Amino acid sequence: MPIEINKLSYSYKKGTPFEKQVLKDISLFIRDGEFVGIIGPTQAGKTTLAQHFNALLIPGKGSVVVNAMNTADKKADLVKLRHNVGYVFQNPDYQLFAPTVGEDIAFGPRNQNLPTEEIEDRVAEAMDQVGLDYDTFYKRDIFALSGGQKRRAAIAGVLACKPQIMILDDVTAGLDPGGREEIIKVIQKLHTEKEITTIYISNSMDEVAMLADRIIVLDQGQVLFDDQTRDVFLHARKLIEIGLELPEVMSITTRLAEAGFDLPGAVLSIEEAVDAIAANLQQGQVKD
Amino acid sequence: MELTKNITLGVYLPGETYIHNLDPRTKIIAAAILITLLLFIKSYLAYAIFLFLIIAILVIATIPPGYAFSGLKPMLPILVLMWLFQLFLYSTPDAEVIVSWWIFSATDAGLHMGNLISMRVLFLFTVTTILTLTTSIVSLTDGLESLLNPLKKIGLPSQELVMTMIIALRFVLILAEELDKIIKAQMARGVAFDRGNFIQKTKSLFPVFLPLFINAFKRAEELIVAMEARSYTGGKGRTKMKTLHMGRVDLFAGLFILLFSALIIYVILIVPPVI
Repeated sequence: MPIEINKLSYSYKKGTPFEKQVLKDISLFIRDGEFVGIIGPTQAGKTTLAQHFNALLIPGKGSVVVNAMNTADKKADLVKLRHNVGYVFQNPDYQLFAPTVGEDIAFGPRNQNLPTEEIEDRVAEAMDQVGLDYDTFYKRDIFALSGGQKRRAAIAGVLACKPQIMILDDVTAGLDPGGREEIIKVIQKLHTEKEITTIYISNSMDEVAMLADRIIVLDQGQVLFDDQTRDVFLHARKLIEIGLELPEVMSITTRLAEAGFDLPGAVLSIEEAVDAIAANLQQGQVKD
Repeated sequence: MELTKNITLGVYLPGETYIHNLDPRTKIIAAAILITLLLFIKSYLAYAIFLFLIIAILVIATIPPGYAFSGLKPMLPILVLMWLFQLFLYSTPDAEVIVSWWIFSATDAGLHMGNLISMRVLFLFTVTTILTLTTSIVSLTDGLESLLNPLKKIGLPSQELVMTMIIALRFVLILAEELDKIIKAQMARGVAFDRGNFIQKTKSLFPVFLPLFINAFKRAEELIVAMEARSYTGGKGRTKMKTLHMGRVDLFAGLFILLFSALIIYVILIVPPVI
C-alpha cells in the first residue's frame, strides 16, 4: 500500500483574511514496510502533511494517491481507506470516549460492521499488541488509565482496524521516560513483526534517530531533506539552523569532533559513539 | 475539513484603521444603539439604509465583506427554516394568500414577516461580528468593564461578569478547534457521519460530543487553576495596565451614530411598516 504524493500544496482557512499556506509543492513516495520519520520545527506542516495520507485532509493542489486510489476522487471509499491507514493522534483524549477500554478499542472494527466474534478477537489481539493485559484492562474505566496507558489504548483502538499503514502523530509527547519507552517498544514490535508501514511524526530527534530508516525534514511547508536517517543527520548544522535539535549522542560527538576527535559525521546510537570514541583513544590521535 | 474556517464570531482581525483605533467603549455603545434600532425597524427602506452603513464600516475597517458574512454560513439552515415558518404560519386577518399547498398556505403578511425577521437576525449577527472583528479581546474586556462599573454600586459584579463573557467568547474558537481534532480522530477509525438513517447518524455523534464535553470540563478546571495561580480573586482592587481614554475620533464616531439613529428613527416614523 504505497503512498504517492505529487506536488501537494495546502492552505488553511482558504478564502479568509487568515489564509495561510501550510504545504508548498510537496512530492514524495512512501514504500511498503518503510519506517519513515517526519521531523521539523513547529508549524512546519508535519501534521497537515500526515493528515493527507488518510484523507482527513484533501489536497488543495496536487494529488495524494494511496494504493492507486486518489483521495480527491469523489467516488473513492475514504472510510475504507482510513481503516487501512491508521492515524493515532497526539492527544488520546480526542479519541477515547467509551466507558471502558474494551468498548473503545472495539469502536473502529464496529464501524466496519464486522461480526461480534471477529470484533472481540481483534480487540484482544490489539490489546495484546500494545501490552494491555486483557483481563485487567478490558473492563477498566477509561478515566482510570495513566497517561501512558491511555496512549496505548488509543494505539490499540487504531490497530483493531487492522491498518497496513500506521501514522503516529507525536504519540510520546508529554510522557514520562518510562511511558515513552513502553510506547516505543510497542511501535518497534509492530513494525518488525507485523511489517506495518510506519510514519512517525516526532519532536524527539533521539526517537526518530533510533527508530526510522528514512527521515523527511519539513521546514515552512517544504521538504528540506528526504533521505536515509544517517544521511539526514549529516546535515547537522542545517538542522540546528531551522530550529531542530540533534540527537543527544550527536550533540556530544559533534563537540568532540570539533575538539579534534576523528568521528563520523552522523552517530545515531550510544554504542556507535562508544566504539568510535574508543577507537580514537586507542590510536592516540587526540592531542591533549 | 476545517470547522474553524466559518467561525467569525469572537475572532479579532488585527488592523490599524479608524474603526480599529476607536475606544472600545465607543464601539460597544454604538453597537448597542444599532442593535436597539434593529429591533424597531419594520420597513425595507430602513434596512436598505442600514445595509449602507454596514458596508461603509466594513470598507473603512478593511474587512473583506465576504469574510464578515461567511460566519453566517453555518446559520443558514436555521435562517431558512425560520423564514419558512413565518411564511406559512404567520398571518393577519386581512392578509392575502399567495401560495397554498395541502394544509399550508403562505400569505403576503407571512412573507414580509419572514423577510423582516431574517434580516433582523442577519444584521444583529453582522453588527456583533464587526465589533469583535475590530476589537481585541483585551480592549473589549476593558471597555465592557468600564461601562458596567457604575453598576457596581448596586452590587453587580461587573468585572466577574465581563470575565465570564470574554472567556465564553474565547472558548468558542478553542472548542471549535478541538471539535475539529476529535472529529478527525473518530473519522480515522472509520466513522461515516453522513451514512445511515437518522438514529445511526445521531449515534455517530456520541464519539464526538463525549470527548468534547470531557475536554471542555478539563480545560475549565485548568483555567481555574491557572487563574488562581496568578492570584485572581475577582474584580476587587484590580488595576489596569492600559487606561482607556476617548479622543476626538470617538466624538466624531458618536456624533455620526447619533445622526444615523435620527435618520433611522425618522424613517421608522415616516415609512409605514410593511407588516
